[in-house]
Amino acid sequence: MQLLATLGRRLLVVLPILFVVSALLFTALRVLPVDPAAMSMPPTATRDEIEAARRAMGLDQPLPQQYAIWLGHVVHGDFGRSIHLRRDVVELVRQTLPATIELALCAMLVAAVLGLAGGLLLFALRDNPAEPVAETGTTLMMSVPEFLWALLFIFVFGVALQAMPFTGRLDPGMIRPDITGFLLLDALLAGRLDILRSAAAHMVLPAFALGIAFAPPIMRVLRSSLLDVYHEDYIHQARLRGLSETRILLRHALKNAILPTLTLMGVQFGFLFGGSLLVEVIYSYPGLGNLMVDAVRNADLPIIQAVGLTYCVVVLVINSVVDGLYLTLNPRLRAR
Amino acid sequence: MTVLRAEALSVALRQGGAEIPVLNRIDLALAPGRVLGLVGESGAGKSMIGRTVAQLLPPHFAVSGGKLEFAGRDLVSMPPRARRALLGREIAFIPQEPLTALNPVRTIGSQFAEHFARLGEGDHRARTVAALEAVHLPDPAGLLARYPHQLSGGMCQRVLIAMAFASRPKLVVADEPTTALDVTIQARIMELMQEMRARDGTAVLFITHDLRLAAQVCDDIAVLYAGSVVEQGPAAAVLGGPRHPYTRCLQLAIPAMTGPRRALLALPEQMPGLRAMTTLRGCRFAPRCPLAAEQCRAAPPPLGTEDHRAACFRAELTPTIAPPEETLATHIQPGNPVLDVAGLGKRFRTGSLFRPGHMDAVSEASLAIASGEFVAVVGESGSGKSTLGRLLVGLERPTAGRILLAGRDVTAGTEADRRHRVRNVQMVFQDPQSALNPRRRVAAIMTQAMEAVGAPAAERARRAAELLAEMGLAPETGARSPAQLSGGQRQRVNIARALCTVPPLLVADEIVSGLDVSVQAQLLNLLRRLRAELDFALLFISHDLAVVRHVCDRVLVMHRGRIVEHGPTEQVFAAPRHEYTRTLLDSMPKDFPMA
Repeated sequence: MQLLATLGRRLLVVLPILFVVSALLFTALRVLPVDPAAMSMPPTATRDEIEAARRAMGLDQPLPQQYAIWLGHVVHGDFGRSIHLRRDVVELVRQTLPATIELALCAMLVAAVLGLAGGLLLFALRDNPAEPVAETGTTLMMSVPEFLWALLFIFVFGVALQAMPFTGRLDPGMIRPDITGFLLLDALLAGRLDILRSAAAHMVLPAFALGIAFAPPIMRVLRSSLLDVYHEDYIHQARLRGLSETRILLRHALKNAILPTLTLMGVQFGFLFGGSLLVEVIYSYPGLGNLMVDAVRNADLPIIQAVGLTYCVVVLVINSVVDGLYLTLNPRLRAR
Repeated sequence: MTVLRAEALSVALRQGGAEIPVLNRIDLALAPGRVLGLVGESGAGKSMIGRTVAQLLPPHFAVSGGKLEFAGRDLVSMPPRARRALLGREIAFIPQEPLTALNPVRTIGSQFAEHFARLGEGDHRARTVAALEAVHLPDPAGLLARYPHQLSGGMCQRVLIAMAFASRPKLVVADEPTTALDVTIQARIMELMQEMRARDGTAVLFITHDLRLAAQVCDDIAVLYAGSVVEQGPAAAVLGGPRHPYTRCLQLAIPAMTGPRRALLALPEQMPGLRAMTTLRGCRFAPRCPLAAEQCRAAPPPLGTEDHRAACFRAELTPTIAPPEETLATHIQPGNPVLDVAGLGKRFRTGSLFRPGHMDAVSEASLAIASGEFVAVVGESGSGKSTLGRLLVGLERPTAGRILLAGRDVTAGTEADRRHRVRNVQMVFQDPQSALNPRRRVAAIMTQAMEAVGAPAAERARRAAELLAEMGLAPETGARSPAQLSGGQRQRVNIARALCTVPPLLVADEIVSGLDVSVQAQLLNLLRRLRAELDFALLFISHDLAVVRHVCDRVLVMHRGRIVEHGPTEQVFAAPRHEYTRTLLDSMPKDFPMA
């Protein structure tokens, strides 16, 4: 009940945010010195033909009016047609969004698993001579940007060791089942283990490249919140009750220390989703990022607008989900 | 058969090759069903004894000599696994802060189930319900699904007592189990502990700073000072006729609940810290002792072996230590009204946007204070006494009523009201640690009020020097930062800051709670001296009735946001009219007979 109320309250905030973001996006793109009308015509088109195209696209109207028209369409789920690809924008986003979400979730999983395991390791190493070594390791992990990891992984695991595929989502020749758009899920639903294996193998390098840099902050937050929690009275009291150290860590300390880590992951996911763009390009991964890069190259305004707004919606949704999760894990936030 | 026996037990802190003694050759013996009280001020080492029993000492602390036996088994040499097996089974602990001693993200039921599972007993649920019933908690079955934050401090302590006694332990170590609780709850928790002790024949090691409470609860008492037992014996003998000067001084530092008001004996300075302990050669109490002679500084006095024993060369002189003469006029004629409050109320909004609610922290409060008057507001946590103080100084905005301060209505809280307030009322907060900016020097903190009006630096320095002298602080203290001061010194700085411009009204919120009794006596004496020297009225918010009786002429009793009783202190204490005031007074541990 409270969960629903919280999500409901979230929604009230989300709509104005979306309105502001869409207005900003629209204005910024119109200020760019590109002429979508001219770009949509063959190079041989005459000035009059371009002018006619411009009128047809509504580009001769004043900016606020253009925005109002666009918004009117958007509210009805119509983001227009791609100028360059000549296809429905909503359809393009629908085809690529699941791929990017899948990549981002896998990367987040990598970051979370590495982060939590590393955090526990760092905590176990406290006051140990090996601690500075581990610290240096995490700093190194964090200071290498995701595109460098991507290139490094391609070189080491793809080219030198030839252990992992590094382009696209599937082996060539495989036909992907299209049920939900989430390839790993679809392969499972279709019962095609060969496809699942191939898709998973293709996911490994991009997910690690994208997720690895996000693990060290999780490690550090988990370590420091574990250190804090170990100063709490209830840990001392659990010891006085004779509980084992393992049990105190897993059943008492971790349940409390995980909470700040969760908040961090929520924030990170937004950055991670945005960071997927470069990784997608490097691994020729057919997601939202590649769609966006192509659209920018071609000044394909309808796509840029739609994708930009999609990024915004995804980040807002993730934030709401994390808030809900936080509420279920932390009883103190629930109504008394 | 003794449950717990310590023989010449010593604990030391090893630091950079040096060994600093923390506990010094402690001898204790505790028989089944008995309550042994460890009393003393903070830093005396009483909690360290409790931690040594659990063998959970802080890093770098270790037993450096002597023996500690539990039911005939040596706890010090016992392997950790065997020792851990004892904890929670045969030795149980009741903590000081019940609200933080339970895991906040797990239900009461799951924490109990874990405990019973470890004890290896089946049917957790029925056992848990029975255990919670035994500590008189209402609706024990419903409690299982609740989280600690949904319970009050007293309920949490009952849960923890239930958990401690669930395994029918031989020994329970209770470390200040009621310090964080209200006095009415304290009375009931102590009753409960006695009941459980009687049921199981458990031996209790009761650690407390409260002599009055110890007198009421304990069979035997050991008084600790700077890591040594200075006096030991049957509770009635030790507190009825103390033989060590420290015990006597502590008693004389505590304000009485009955009898004539007497001046408090304030021991000078404070207990030596860990570092100072290594350099002290003779009796550790000698530097502060009113009886100290040459002999005391040469070698430490032995404790002796009598039933009631004290480590003092001059024990026969102890009864001659007398409280100081009452020199200050106790009754000061009230002058013009400073504060006049009528129908004051503060309503906080609670609940959510969808389910609004409200809570009246203060309602219909009316009071008046004249210049020079010391008025107390007493009540338990949540009674609204702090909110009342915050309303008066303008930290909260009232939702009803009016506040007339030095002839001006400041209820609206406009900018002009604020300026009027700054000149006429100042507040002293409870915790000087957080009330003093750690990045500023003491002199600058004390003269903060002059900063606001742009006083020249020379004038501020002059005033700071005056204030230091008035507060009994050394002149060089002005150049220190708050972190370099002791708790008592910090609270003096805190008071000096509020008194910098000598406002007509001072609001003090629990300014002596959390301080040791000897430091508390210093501050209370200071307040009374300041009253004679300066012209200000005081609204003294406190939960400690004895302190209130010592300091204030009039008292207001608050209960659930309302002032339920109001009158001259002596009259209210002698003949309380409201039911709640009676409960409050009855819950206070009684005075011990004073020789």
